[in-house]
Amino acid sequence: MQQFIKPPVEVRYKEELDALKNADDGRKPQNWVLSPKAVRTFILGGEAHTSDGVRAISRKFYGNDALVERAVITLAGSRGLMLVGEPGTAKTMLSELLCAAICGNSTNTVQGTAGITEDMIKYSWNYALLLAKGPCREALVPSPLLIGMEKGIIARFEEITRTPAEIQDSLISVMSDQILNIPELGDEGLVLARPGFNIIGTANTRDKGVNEMSGALKRRFNFETVEPVKDVRLEKEIIVREAQDLARAGQIDAPIDTNVAELLAVTYHELREGMTAAGTVVQKPNAVMSTAEAVSVYFQTISHAWYLGGGRVDLSVLTESLLGAVCKENKDDLDKLKSYFRVAVKEKSREGGLWKEYLNTASLLR
Amino acid sequence: MEGISEHGIAAKVIPFDLDAPFLLFPVRHHSPACSYHLLKAIELYSPDVVLIEGPENANELIPVLTDGRTVLPAAFYYYYKDKKKYISEAAEDYKCYYPFLYSSPEYNALKAAAARGIPARFIDLPYSEILINTTKSKGLLKNDKQSYADDSRLVRGQFYKRLCEKTGIRSFEEFWEKYFEIEGLYKSTEEFVRAMHTYCALTRSGTKREELTADATLVREQHMAYNITEAMKTYKKTLIVTGGFHSPGLYELLQQGGIKPVKLHSVPAGCTGCFPAAYSYEAADALHGYASGMSFPFFYDSIFKLIREQQTPKGAYNSVTLDMLARCAKECKSKELPVAISDVTAALSLMQGLAPMRNVHECGFYELYDGVLSCFIKGERSLSSSIPLDILKRIATGDGVGHIGDTAHTPPLIADFEEKCEGFKLKYHSAVPQEKDIALFKSPRELEISRFMHRMDLLDTGFAQRLKGADLHSGRDKSRVHELWSYRRSPQVDSLLIDHTADGFTIEEACANIAAGRLRAERRCEGAAKTAVDCFLCGIELPEVSSSINRVLSGDGDLLSIGKGLYYFDMLYNLSRLYGYDSSASFSYLESCFDRLSDSLTELINVPDEQAGECIDILKRLYGLCDTLFSDRRDTLYAALCEMSQARDKNPAVLGAVMGLMYAFESKNQYIAEDAMRGYLGGSVEVKKQGAQYLRGLFSTARDIVFADNDFLRMTDKLIVSMGHEDFMEILPGMRLAFSGFTPQEIHRAAGAVASMYGTGGDSLLYKKAIDEGLFGFGSRLDKELAACLERKKQ
Repeated sequence: MQQFIKPPVEVRYKEELDALKNADDGRKPQNWVLSPKAVRTFILGGEAHTSDGVRAISRKFYGNDALVERAVITLAGSRGLMLVGEPGTAKTMLSELLCAAICGNSTNTVQGTAGITEDMIKYSWNYALLLAKGPCREALVPSPLLIGMEKGIIARFEEITRTPAEIQDSLISVMSDQILNIPELGDEGLVLARPGFNIIGTANTRDKGVNEMSGALKRRFNFETVEPVKDVRLEKEIIVREAQDLARAGQIDAPIDTNVAELLAVTYHELREGMTAAGTVVQKPNAVMSTAEAVSVYFQTISHAWYLGGGRVDLSVLTESLLGAVCKENKDDLDKLKSYFRVAVKEKSREGGLWKEYLNTASLLR
Repeated sequence: MEGISEHGIAAKVIPFDLDAPFLLFPVRHHSPACSYHLLKAIELYSPDVVLIEGPENANELIPVLTDGRTVLPAAFYYYYKDKKKYISEAAEDYKCYYPFLYSSPEYNALKAAAARGIPARFIDLPYSEILINTTKSKGLLKNDKQSYADDSRLVRGQFYKRLCEKTGIRSFEEFWEKYFEIEGLYKSTEEFVRAMHTYCALTRSGTKREELTADATLVREQHMAYNITEAMKTYKKTLIVTGGFHSPGLYELLQQGGIKPVKLHSVPAGCTGCFPAAYSYEAADALHGYASGMSFPFFYDSIFKLIREQQTPKGAYNSVTLDMLARCAKECKSKELPVAISDVTAALSLMQGLAPMRNVHECGFYELYDGVLSCFIKGERSLSSSIPLDILKRIATGDGVGHIGDTAHTPPLIADFEEKCEGFKLKYHSAVPQEKDIALFKSPRELEISRFMHRMDLLDTGFAQRLKGADLHSGRDKSRVHELWSYRRSPQVDSLLIDHTADGFTIEEACANIAAGRLRAERRCEGAAKTAVDCFLCGIELPEVSSSINRVLSGDGDLLSIGKGLYYFDMLYNLSRLYGYDSSASFSYLESCFDRLSDSLTELINVPDEQAGECIDILKRLYGLCDTLFSDRRDTLYAALCEMSQARDKNPAVLGAVMGLMYAFESKNQYIAEDAMRGYLGGSVEVKKQGAQYLRGLFSTARDIVFADNDFLRMTDKLIVSMGHEDFMEILPGMRLAFSGFTPQEIHRAAGAVASMYGTGGDSLLYKKAIDEGLFGFGSRLDKELAACLERKKQ
C-alpha cells in the first residue's frame, strides 16, 4: 500500500471491509458485497462483531449521517445518486466509500470534462483490432458505464456537470431501460445491466464552466446536497486525520500539532460563515473555503516544517499558505483576509498564545 | 430504548403494579403512543378515579371538552390578573393555554373516564398559584411560555444531546419518534411505561433541586400528591396521569406519606378564571407558537385516529406517511413543481428502505422527510428548491382550527365573533389566511362586514388586516369604494377576545366601550378625532361618545391639535351620508373646532417655521368652510385674519397666507399685501429671505394675486435679482415650493409676463438660433490659438 500515493479505498480499508463482510448477516441487495447496514457502519463508523472478536470501524465521513443512509438506500433502488455541493465537501470521497463498500470497486470511474464524448461514456473501439477482425466483442473497449452494467457494480461519474448537456443526456436511456445497445455487434450487441449496477454522479455548484442538467436526467437521480462541515470541532478532527494520512503517505514523520489544526479550522469556519464565534461579522471571501482546502494548507505547512523548518511548525508559513489558498481568483479576497486578521484574529489574540503569534504574521498578507 | 431499560436505574423506577392502590402513568403531551398505552392501562387497571395533571380550576369545564360536539384542537384558556401584586409590583395580567388534540393522553383519559362512568379531574395547583410560586423568568413566567403543556424539560441539559449523538440521530424529536412513538407501539404497556419512567427519571436526575423549586415543580407536586392521597381515601384504585417528568417526584412523595396541603393565596373574584377555547394545530406545534407538546401535531393526530379506527397500531405509521407523501406530491404539482409519479414511488421506496436500516418497524415522519428531500428536490438544496419540504412540514403541522361544542360555555365575545363570521360567510375555521373583497356601498351587508373587520382591528385581535381601501386616518385613497382584507383565525384571536370580555358581551359593545374609555382618557383634540374616525369605521354612532369629545374640545389648548380635529371632523361630516350616518354629531364637533380656532387664530401668527405649513392648512380649511357650511361666520374669520395681520411678531409664511385670504375676502387688500412684500424687499438679506417665505404663504392661498397688475411678479423678480448666488440657492427650494401650487397654464402665463418685463416673449424664450457648426469649430480653434500665443508671450 505504501507504494501508492493514494491507494483505492477498498485497498486502504481492506481489513475493515473484510471484518464487516465476515460479520455481516444483514439482508443484501443482489450483487452487493455488504448489506446496507454494514455499508453504513463502514462509512459512519461502529463495530464489527467477527468470530475473532470485536473490530472497531473508523468513521470516514463526518457531518450528516442521515445523508449517508439516504445515499445507501438510493443505490439499492432503481435511481442513481447525485451528490451535489460546493467544491471540497468530500463528495468524491463519499462516492468512493460507497462504491468500495457496496461492490468492492471504487475505481470504475468516468471523469467528466468539457471535452468528453459519448464514446467515452458508452464504449469505443480498439481500431487495430477493429480493422483486423471487424466489429467484435474483442475489439470493443468498454467504458466504466458498460463495465458497471456487465459486472453489476457501480459506475462513478465525477463532475458530471462539466460535461456538455447533450453528452450527459446519453445516460438517460441507460438509466431508464438499464440497457445499452451496441448496434455494431448485431444480435450480440444488447447489453442488459446486471443487478447491482447503478451510477453515482458528483457535481459541484460553485465552479465556473458547469452545464445545467436536463430535467429528464434529473428525474433519473435522487439528489443529495453535501454541505460543508458546520461544526468546528469536527472540521479540526478532519484536518488532523487527513493531514496524518497525507503525512504518512509522504513519509513525513512529524507529530500533528492539534492547536494549529484548530486555529486553521476556526479560520476556515469563520471565513466561510462570515461570522466569528463571538458574533462579529467578517467578510466572506469569494474563494471556496472548503475543508479540503484547509487540509491542503495544513499539509503544506507541516511539509515545510519537515523539510525546511527542522520539524517545527511555523505560523508564518501557515499564513502564507492560507494567502495562496484564499487569494486565487479575486483580488478583493486579499482585503477580506486582511480584514479578518484585523478584526477576528486581533480579537482572539487578546488571550495571548498561538493567536497572538498568528496575528504577528498578518504583515505577510500582501 | 432497550439500552435505557437495562440501565441500573430501571430497577428503582416506579412499579407498574395493576393491583396497587395507585398507578402512575407517565405521558408526553400529544403523544399517540402514550395515548394508546394509557387506554390499554385503563382497561387493565380498571381504576375507580382518574386524576390528571392540569390546573384544578378547569374541573368544571371538563364536560365541555369531552362533549361530542367539541372539535379538537381545543384548549383551556387560563388567565390571572395580579391585582394584589403577588407576582410583582407591575400588577400584570397573565394567560396561558392547556391545549388538547385527539392524540393527547390527557384528553383520552378524560374521554375514557367519561365512557366508563368514573370521575376524572385535574389535580394541579390553580393557574394563579403556579404563577405566584414561580420565580421570575422561570417556568410559566418565561416570556414565551404561554402553554401549560410544556415538554421542554424532556430536552433539557446534556442528556438528550448525548443520546442523539450516541444513536446517530439528528434531533430529540427524531429520537423520540423512533424509540417511543413507533417502537413504543410494538411494546407491551408495562414495557412502555417502564421505558418512559426510566427516560424521565434520567432526565430529572440531571435537574437541580433549585431549578425544580424555581419553576414551581416541587410545590405543584406537593399539591398533586396531596390531592392523590385525598382521592385514595375515597377510591380503591386511582390512576394518575401526569407528565413523565413529575412521576419520580410524585412517587417519592406518595411513598413518604404525610403530605401537607399547599396554602393557597386569596385571589379576588374575577381576577382568575378559565374558558374553553378553540385552538389550532399550528399553535399546538412545538416548533411554532407556544412550544408545547410534539412537533407536527396533525401528523401524530392522524396516527392516533388511525390506530383507534383500525383497532391496532400496526401499519398506522406506514399508512399515514404514505398518505402525507401523496398529499405533498399533489400540492407540489398544484404549485407547478416538477414532481412526477416516479418521484413519489422513489420516495416511498427510499422511506421503506430507510426504516429497516434505522431499525425501526415502520416509516415515521423523518423517513418521510428524507424521502421528500432526496426525491422531490432536484438539484442543490437551497431556500428556493426546498419548497417540497416546506409543503410537507405545513401538511404535517396541520391548518385546522377546533370548535367548542357546548356554546353555553363559549365566552360571549367568541360566540358573537363566530355568529358574525357565520352570518358574513367568512371562513373562520381555517388557520390559512383568507381574503375578502368588500364593495363598501354595494349593499348595507357589505358595509356591515367592513365594520366587523374594523371592529376586530380596533380590538387588536390580529384577525383582520386591511390590504387595500380608503385610509381615513392618513387621508390616503379616500375615494376608494372597495376594501380588501386578509383575515385568519388563530388562538391568539380567541384569547384576545376573551381578554375583552370585560369590555362587553358583543364585539360592537366591546368596541364602543373601548372607544369611550379611550376618549375618557384623551386630552388632545387630535386623538379624540382619530378615535371618532375609528368609531365611524366601526359603525359606532358618535352621539354615544359625545360628552367625552366635547370635553376634550373645550379643554385642549393646542390649536394645531384642534386644527387636526377640524380636518377629521370635516372629513367625517362629508362622508356621513355615504356611510349612512346622521351627520349632526360630526357637524357639531366641526362647529366647535371652527369656533375654537377662529377665536384664538391670532395665536397662530408667530408659530415656528416647521409648523407654518400646518398653520396654513388650517387657515385654508377655515376659509373653505366659510364658503360652504359656515357662511354666517365670514365676518368673524375676516376680523380674526385682520387681527393676525396686525400682530407684532409674525411668521412670514403664515402672514403671506393670511394676506392671501384677506385678498380673497376683499380684493382691495392686494395693496396691503404688496406693502408687506415691499417691507421685505427693503430689508437686509435675511429679511429678503423671509420675503421668499412670505410669497410661499401668499401664493398658497391666493395664486391669482400674481396676475393682478403683475406687481407681485415684479417684486418677485426684484427679490431674486437683488440676491447673491449663495443666498438665491438658499431660497430656491422655498421659491419652488411657492410656485408648486400653480397649474401649468398659470406657470406659462407668469413666464410670459416675466418675459415681457425683459422685452421678450413667445418662442424666443424657449429657443435660440442654432450656431453654425463650422463657425463654432472656427471659434474653438481661434480660442486655442490665442491661448497658445498668450502662453508663448508669457514665457
